[in-house]
Amino acid sequence: MPMYKVKPVSPADIKIDLPTCMYKLPNIHAQGMNCGEHALQNGEVDPALKALEERQDEVLRRLYELKATVDGLAKTVTTPDADLDASTLSRGPAESVFRATADLDSLLGKDLGALRDIVINANPAHPPLSLLVLHALLCQRYQVLSSVHVHSSVSAVPPPLLSCLGPRHIDSYARQRFQLGFTLIWKDVSKLQMKFNTQSMYPIEGEANVARFLFRLLSAEPQDPVLATQMDCWIDTAVFQLAEGGSKERAVTLRSLNSALGRSPWLLGQEFSLADIVCACCVLRAGQTTSAPANVQRWLQSCQNLGHFDCVYPLLQ
Amino acid sequence: VCFDFAKDRYGICPMVQSQQKLDRALVRVQDLTPEKAEQQIWVRARIHTSRAKGKQCFLVLRHQQFTVQALLAVGERASKQMVKFAANLTKESIIDVEAVVKKVEQKIESCSQQDVELHVERIFVISQSEARLPLQLEDAVRPEGEGDEEGRATVNQDTRLDNRVIDLRTTTSQAIFRLQSGVCQLFRDTLINKGFVEIQTPKIISAASEGGANVFTVSYFKTSAYLAQSPQLYKQMCICADFDKVFCVGPVFRAEDSNTHRHLTEFVGLDIEMAFNYHYHEVIDSITDTMVQIFKGLRDRFQTEIQTVNKQYPSEPFKFLEPTLRLEYKEAVAMLKAAGVEMGDEEDLSTPNEKLLGRLVKEKYDTDFYVLDKYPLAVRPFYTMPDPNNPKYSNSYDMFMRGEEILSGAQRIHDAQLLTERAMHHSIDLEKIKAYIDSFRYGAPPHAGGGIGLERVTMLYLGLHNVRQTSMFPRDPKRLTP
Repeated sequence: MPMYKVKPVSPADIKIDLPTCMYKLPNIHAQGMNCGEHALQNGEVDPALKALEERQDEVLRRLYELKATVDGLAKTVTTPDADLDASTLSRGPAESVFRATADLDSLLGKDLGALRDIVINANPAHPPLSLLVLHALLCQRYQVLSSVHVHSSVSAVPPPLLSCLGPRHIDSYARQRFQLGFTLIWKDVSKLQMKFNTQSMYPIEGEANVARFLFRLLSAEPQDPVLATQMDCWIDTAVFQLAEGGSKERAVTLRSLNSALGRSPWLLGQEFSLADIVCACCVLRAGQTTSAPANVQRWLQSCQNLGHFDCVYPLLQ
Repeated sequence: VCFDFAKDRYGICPMVQSQQKLDRALVRVQDLTPEKAEQQIWVRARIHTSRAKGKQCFLVLRHQQFTVQALLAVGERASKQMVKFAANLTKESIIDVEAVVKKVEQKIESCSQQDVELHVERIFVISQSEARLPLQLEDAVRPEGEGDEEGRATVNQDTRLDNRVIDLRTTTSQAIFRLQSGVCQLFRDTLINKGFVEIQTPKIISAASEGGANVFTVSYFKTSAYLAQSPQLYKQMCICADFDKVFCVGPVFRAEDSNTHRHLTEFVGLDIEMAFNYHYHEVIDSITDTMVQIFKGLRDRFQTEIQTVNKQYPSEPFKFLEPTLRLEYKEAVAMLKAAGVEMGDEEDLSTPNEKLLGRLVKEKYDTDFYVLDKYPLAVRPFYTMPDPNNPKYSNSYDMFMRGEEILSGAQRIHDAQLLTERAMHHSIDLEKIKAYIDSFRYGAPPHAGGGIGLERVTMLYLGLHNVRQTSMFPRDPKRLTP
């Protein structure tokens, strides 16, 4: 049965002139909409969210891998491998310290046209003698532009400290001709500090660490891990026992030096190395070398004969 | 009204018209120390503040950078009327005070003389100040941040400059200009010790020296003339006249419409020019050594002034190396590129790049002062000597303090023919510089030099941020008085 009908008040298909001055919104009632909202309502996942979840999974996976690697390393360090016998390690051919060439580009970074300047800030009360010896060695290997400055935090510095890097190079006005810069600044610092590339490198602190860095420019580390460890051991002994220790520690160190030098001409065997440089400088700085044991005295004389220590003697009172 | 038994011990003096010669020694506020305890002395100073509290009146007396507390209390020596008189004295009035110096138990933190105070016996006004001051001195010395925090006023720069006479009385201003005087004196002393001769050059000249644009014109009888942009031409003529090493201290006029923190239209130029034997680095070494001696002199003899300025304008102390650090332009470009800046090898350094370079150098070498050598030839004036090995570069240099340029110098071309070629290359009218070129035709020694601005060097040494703070009566495109 037809229901009560009302005549339509207005026709169904009135043409409406939409104003064009306003901005348009998409019609939310239109058929076949494909906006994300619709998809979400259907239980599907927003692709952006999916990508985020995938990234999170990837990061977590990498984290677990890293953790596993670190755990593995920790195990190898803390539990000695029973199968590894140090005495059977083949000692590689003893390389002469200064025969191996070092590639400056790979060690210091690519040459961008600026002088590669190593800046060392040292306190004039504690001149870094081993670094002066290393400087002399560097000058033999490379073309080094050396300069000494006094920082405004220090009022005056004794003249021997101003000329400790030797006479000014004739070509020092043409900085471009040098491969390496060695700038020593006497400054009121509590700990010796080395700066090289401030954009990518943190400053290196402590005379021993700077010595290790400079030594790498002269030759590679000893391949033999035992030798490398011995070298580090001697350097640390020199710095902590000789330089910073009391008279008892010094006496003990001198005795161990004496016995080591009884077995071979140099601390690491047949070749002169960084260990000899650092230890000799610390012994010389401690003073009273005439009362040192016989082997030590002979060894100091050999160091002097090499000629690399000439820069050090004027600075010893 | 009770009888005023102290009426002879205070009052306003008649204007000092040199009526009499008084045999009286006036002690300076600066010299009021515990050594003078119990002495009765006369002091002339300004009233910095005066505050009455019941039967007492506390005054702070000020002379230049130094302040001291003074106390006047009703008692045997002072009547109520005398104390009321003292409390009503206007700030900045100049007074003569007779007082006994007394040691204090607790340090008076707010004054420069912290260990003593004055017990006033007699007080007379020598010159009274109007009651309403255009600015309060305590506001003028207040550090910027403090003013904002506590809601107290600070004085903005234009107000200061409009009332410069009062602004210059502040402890900070006194310290700044005393230090500036030191810079000038150290400059002169160091150069005289190096065998330099001081010369005076004319400031009214017939042709623009640096380039036509930024020069003031003055009417000169029936024609016009210019105010000198720099003593450049005359310094060089003195070298050609065999004076070997010269310097001059005098005004420099630049009609640059730059309203920046570091430009003035008139400033004091300290200029050096020197003949050398074989290499212009001899001159760079001389100039940098002079600068280092100035810095050392300021560090060792003007610490009081530096600390006074730092109270209102805190800054890092100025650091430098001796001998001065010298880098080459190519190194600077490499350092900037390594830090992420994109620039061409022969491009001039923009101001932000100069500041960044200053920060990089500070980070590596810990110095606020350094020299940049071997600039590209294209960005330097026509009289700059080109580099002998590479025609794209020149024997020119800039010096920087805290990352801002303070000196531009070079080896000058001393050959008339080469000078003419370079001038033509820069499209300069040869007629206008004929006299300049002529001075090199009769034998000229190789020479180089450079100049610094006194105000800019003082500003950068103290770590201040606007050159108007270090110019007594600054001139810029918008200011011609006081």
